[in-house]
Amino acid sequence: MTDTAQTEVRVDQKRKEAYFTASQNQLIWQRFKKNKSALIGAWVLVFLIMSGIFAPFLTPYDATIAGRDKDYLNGAPQIPQFCDDNGCSLRPFIYSYERTRSMKTNFRWVTEVKTDLESRRYLQYFTKGAQYTYLAFDINLPGRALDFRIPGFTFETRLFGVDSGMIHIFGTDSTGKDIYSRTLTAINTSLAVGTIGVFIAFVMALAIGGVAGYYGGWVDSALQMVTDTVRTIPSIPLFMALAAFIPDVWSAEARFFFISMVLGLIGWPTLARRIRTHLLTERNQEYVLAAQLCGASPGHVIRRHLLPSFTSYIIVDLVISFPYMVLSETALSFIGLGLKDPVNSLGVMLQNVTSVDVLLNYQWYFIPVIFFITLVLAFVFVGDGLRDAADPYSDAKK
Amino acid sequence: MLQFARFTFIRAFLSVLTLILVSFIVFTLMELVPGDCAERYLAFKNTQGSGISIADIEAERIRLGLDQPYLQRWGSWVINAFQGDFGESCILRVNISQLLGQKFWLSLGICLTSLIVAYAIAIPVGIISATSSNPYLNNGLRLVSYLGLALPNFLLALMIMLFSTVVFGESMTGLFSKEFRDADWSVDRVMDFLSHVWLPVFILSWSATAFAIQTVRALMSDEIGKLYVTAAAARGVSGRRLLMRYPARHALSPIINSLGFDLNRIFNELPIVALILTLTEAGSLLIEALARSNDQQLAGAIIFLLTASIVGINFVTDMILALTDPRVRRSIMG
Repeated sequence: MTDTAQTEVRVDQKRKEAYFTASQNQLIWQRFKKNKSALIGAWVLVFLIMSGIFAPFLTPYDATIAGRDKDYLNGAPQIPQFCDDNGCSLRPFIYSYERTRSMKTNFRWVTEVKTDLESRRYLQYFTKGAQYTYLAFDINLPGRALDFRIPGFTFETRLFGVDSGMIHIFGTDSTGKDIYSRTLTAINTSLAVGTIGVFIAFVMALAIGGVAGYYGGWVDSALQMVTDTVRTIPSIPLFMALAAFIPDVWSAEARFFFISMVLGLIGWPTLARRIRTHLLTERNQEYVLAAQLCGASPGHVIRRHLLPSFTSYIIVDLVISFPYMVLSETALSFIGLGLKDPVNSLGVMLQNVTSVDVLLNYQWYFIPVIFFITLVLAFVFVGDGLRDAADPYSDAKK
Repeated sequence: MLQFARFTFIRAFLSVLTLILVSFIVFTLMELVPGDCAERYLAFKNTQGSGISIADIEAERIRLGLDQPYLQRWGSWVINAFQGDFGESCILRVNISQLLGQKFWLSLGICLTSLIVAYAIAIPVGIISATSSNPYLNNGLRLVSYLGLALPNFLLALMIMLFSTVVFGESMTGLFSKEFRDADWSVDRVMDFLSHVWLPVFILSWSATAFAIQTVRALMSDEIGKLYVTAAAARGVSGRRLLMRYPARHALSPIINSLGFDLNRIFNELPIVALILTLTEAGSLLIEALARSNDQQLAGAIIFLLTASIVGINFVTDMILALTDPRVRRSIMG
């Protein structure tokens, strides 16, 4: 045998060894890496989530009414540029504007952009803006003496700003709030609603699906009956019915938690069914019998032996169900039953594009729509890629 | 035959049981909602200018039978519901069956048509995408069906509507033109209806098609790899005949099985699309009942009817499967 052939055999053996000794997660990751569209989706997703988390830093202004620009309502996006007729500049700049109303404009407010050299506004990096805090909590225990506040970390550096006035790269809405700041904050809110919803759905699915799958028999039949029934009821109409009865006096936070909770309470059946199916196939395996013979309690067997056997599948299911949570939130907010305007969520942003006025005059309201579609698409791609990767037979098919 | 009769009987029994369970869930949720029918009606009266007192509310409660125990009220609600009587709306004080009547059938028709359209497109396209080895075609179809998932129906409806308003100067909303809205059914009215109804059907079937293509594609590519297909190919069956007679037949039965849940998904989209296109049928009536007047009686009735039609579809598809597939007939409880 020649040298090359020998090394080839050795390489092949090493590859096989790596394959057979790899843990399930490693195998999934290897298969996932091969899927290009899923990988791109994953990067986009990470990028969007990061920009959601670091929204206060990345955006120049507060997304609330505090950050409004009262001189620039319904203002068009201002795109920083390097060059114009008056020459170039290394530092990107935007123009100043002036709002006027006179006989000439038929007494409507008209924004006039000033393009001369003096009224350029130069972009500044790491400017000081309004303060924002991370990890700050107000603790309200019964009794006034026990109320306290965890201060968290306060920053005031923002990634960019301009030397005078304000900059709105995505334009402003009818109250003068910066759409760019609102969009990034909205991603944050929508993801938070989705996370809470998925978490509640997951815990319920785990409890109900786990019991049904582990015990089988009539317990399983009865629980399946309930699960199927909940699955038959159309969720959005039901959801509307529940959301409509939220009292108007509830604060934005209470609404937010209620909406996420209901999303979770309605979303569990699909997940529960899958967990049950996994458990039904796994519980007859020998290692489960061995554990039972050693005297392990059912809870112990489920927690220590059965759950780890399909953790990766559960994660995949969670990722797949995530975009539907976000979509439901959007749909609800869209019809005005979910979150409402002072709160920034993607659904609220979408609701703002519903008037003809917006299409004709203020097309930049549609920018959050692009973010929304990208976010959902990224989730769908990643979920699909993960599902393919977690399926042990996917290699055999190709 | 006896086996089939037994299967039908058990399935019918299970469907009724499901409906009773559904009615319990819906009724309970409507009960959990703060405030009851009597308060709501009198609060409504209050806004109309007639003064009311606590005693009035109590009297109204007794008149509506709200003072009776919970289970008893649920029982009478279910029994009436199965006879098609949902009582009176909390606020409008009109019989709900009359209020819904035709509107509900119209909505159901629209949803079923969308479902049929979705599968009429999805089955051939899904089969082509599962069998073809052309990467461009495959990726193109995948992208389109992903877009169907990510671009929610309400956004699509909104864009089409705004576009048509700007370009054609006509908003394409509603189900009837003004002059036919309250007219009796006639040939002209049907034509008018058809000229309006294609848009909601198109929008509703948009994402349903995307879902259906993915399902068909996954099922077909599962079946195509199986041994019986290879065996058939070895016997010399090829081309379309091979696909239609072997894997497609097998792939079809899980699809028929899940039709009820597809209908569920379309029902989910209906109220939102109806709101944008201002269709005056059950979907927007639901929004009206919920978002504006908080009419729990009406909302409960609509949700119950929607679920009942899904259970009905499930029953029918079970029957179809049992007729065509002896394996299903034998697995009665399965």
